[in-house]
Amino acid sequence: MELEIKREKIVLRAGTQKFEWHIEPRYWRNPFIYIGILLLATVLVYFFSPQTLPTLVEANLLAAIAIPLGWMTVGTGRMNFGPQFYIGAGGYAAALCSIHLGWPPAVTLLVTLVVGLVFGLLMSPLSIIAGGLYYTLLTLLFPLVFLEITFIYTDIFKGDTGLSGIAPFLSGGSYTGNQLMICLLSLFIMLIYMFIVDKIMRSKFSASLAAINDDEEVAEAMGVNVKKIKIISFAIPAMMIAVIGWFYAHYYTTLSGISYLPLSFMLKVLMVSMIGGRVQIYGNVVGGYFIAFMELFLISVIGDMATVMFPVILLILLLSLPEGLFGLYRKRRYREYLPTLHVRR
Amino acid sequence: MLTTIETMLVYTLLLGSLYLLVSIGFSLICGVLRIFHLGYAYIFVATIYLTWMFFHTLGLPLWLSIILMIVVQAGIAIGIYKGIVARYVKMEEKIITGLLLIAMIAQEAANKWYPVQAAVNLPTTIIPGSLVIGGTEISYQLILAAAFGILVTVFFVLFFLKTKTGLAVRAISYDINTSKIMGIQVEQIYMFIMVVVLLPVIIAMLMIAPVWAVDPWMGWGYMTTAILISVMGGLGNIRGTIIAAFIIGLTHAFMAFVIKEPRLMNLAALVVVVIMLLFRPQGIAKTESLW
Repeated sequence: MELEIKREKIVLRAGTQKFEWHIEPRYWRNPFIYIGILLLATVLVYFFSPQTLPTLVEANLLAAIAIPLGWMTVGTGRMNFGPQFYIGAGGYAAALCSIHLGWPPAVTLLVTLVVGLVFGLLMSPLSIIAGGLYYTLLTLLFPLVFLEITFIYTDIFKGDTGLSGIAPFLSGGSYTGNQLMICLLSLFIMLIYMFIVDKIMRSKFSASLAAINDDEEVAEAMGVNVKKIKIISFAIPAMMIAVIGWFYAHYYTTLSGISYLPLSFMLKVLMVSMIGGRVQIYGNVVGGYFIAFMELFLISVIGDMATVMFPVILLILLLSLPEGLFGLYRKRRYREYLPTLHVRR
Repeated sequence: MLTTIETMLVYTLLLGSLYLLVSIGFSLICGVLRIFHLGYAYIFVATIYLTWMFFHTLGLPLWLSIILMIVVQAGIAIGIYKGIVARYVKMEEKIITGLLLIAMIAQEAANKWYPVQAAVNLPTTIIPGSLVIGGTEISYQLILAAAFGILVTVFFVLFFLKTKTGLAVRAISYDINTSKIMGIQVEQIYMFIMVVVLLPVIIAMLMIAPVWAVDPWMGWGYMTTAILISVMGGLGNIRGTIIAAFIIGLTHAFMAFVIKEPRLMNLAALVVVVIMLLFRPQGIAKTESLW
């Protein structure tokens, strides 16, 4: 057996067999490697630091919000600044059905999917009638108004105390064992989202998305059904984001609008997208893990100063990484066409 | 019923004038710089808490504290322009995220050092006492603030319509490239706008601080109103902003005094704005022009 380490690859010779492993990242394209790393990380955390499992869940969920948001952004050609509205809609739908009707998570998931899709369809005309500036400002306002509603109708939404008594995903068994299963579920959702959005972005449909993102009028002139694609690209991601609200409701067994609807939560999602790489599907995973673990690190190191330092560090990162962490990779390997966002007036 | 209508009309005028102060700067930035200044919320927080820091913590006289606060805010505004806006002018989402982070830093810092329990109370009352109109008691300070709202708006209108700098700003808002060709110093004008829009917000906050409650999170509420008014009026158009401010003021007063559900004020305003956008997607006035 002979091991040879070259500049770009490792060669292993065993008898007449020869195995090569390319070191350069451009050859690491097998998605199973990444899924394996994420699974391995989850299992390792379970054995060596089980108290960190909730941070992994948070990271997976942040990425799972940012991935469909990326699709929505590219497909509508506009940045939605209120994805947390759908988290609230999905979360409250699941929570209310669970508390008042006693439905289990599997059934509330169906309700959440319907509610998410309905709200997505109701809001989707905004991406057609409202221009870039107006669209951004209005999408920003919806979750804030929803938050106000949760405070107004306290008999339904229980205001800042929130709804409690939501059925958990798992009851009985060990706490860490349940946490591991929930963590794997969050990872599964995130990977499913990544698979769906990745397939869409590699399909013929993505050409229409990219055309809309680049120039709506030209896209329409070329025969792209802009309205239809915008509605699809708005409503389905909205439904996918609503599922994360369902997850939050059953994971914490309580749900309060103040936790997810304010701008601070939206900012975290935006930062996942920005730090990971602007509207990059894979970058969102990197961004999600980076943001979740950095928050945990800051809280453990500087305590309550973390609330001030967290946005400061995010700002520094935003300014120092023009294309995010994924951009560092893309800088070396710029291959595929990636739609770029434009300032719309 | 008559008293209710009187009260509603009085508050429409009061709120409309105050909302003008709150929103005119936001509208101008959006219209002239063509960016969403979502960090606008920091100005409200910085006005109160920087003044309080200089006045209460450092023990400086109030007038000096206000001057220092303005100087610091002007520095921050120029820093924001050079550090974020000018660098990422083609990356809309990056600018917005950066500006939101600025607002977040401001409110978190205010909350860290001066939480609600610190009972920040700026003594900026000019005229104490109150006036009874139609069965409603309104403080003189609030009336004065509303008067300032109208005065500042008149000043802005005259400035942008009658001065050479105002002409340059209008030219930029029409066509930036032609403005550059015509020799207008676009960078300087942008920085000037970033600083000048501080003025109405600073006046508004100093005037209403003794009357209305202040807390580190207040910026988002005011910014929400500013967004609604600017969108409704047509971003960057002063005439539209004036009309929209009074329409939103009327909506708020209607919800508070006729429907008697003040908690639904913002929701009602949002509904009004969305309905209006369905008929006039560009807002009340033409967005591309300043007046």
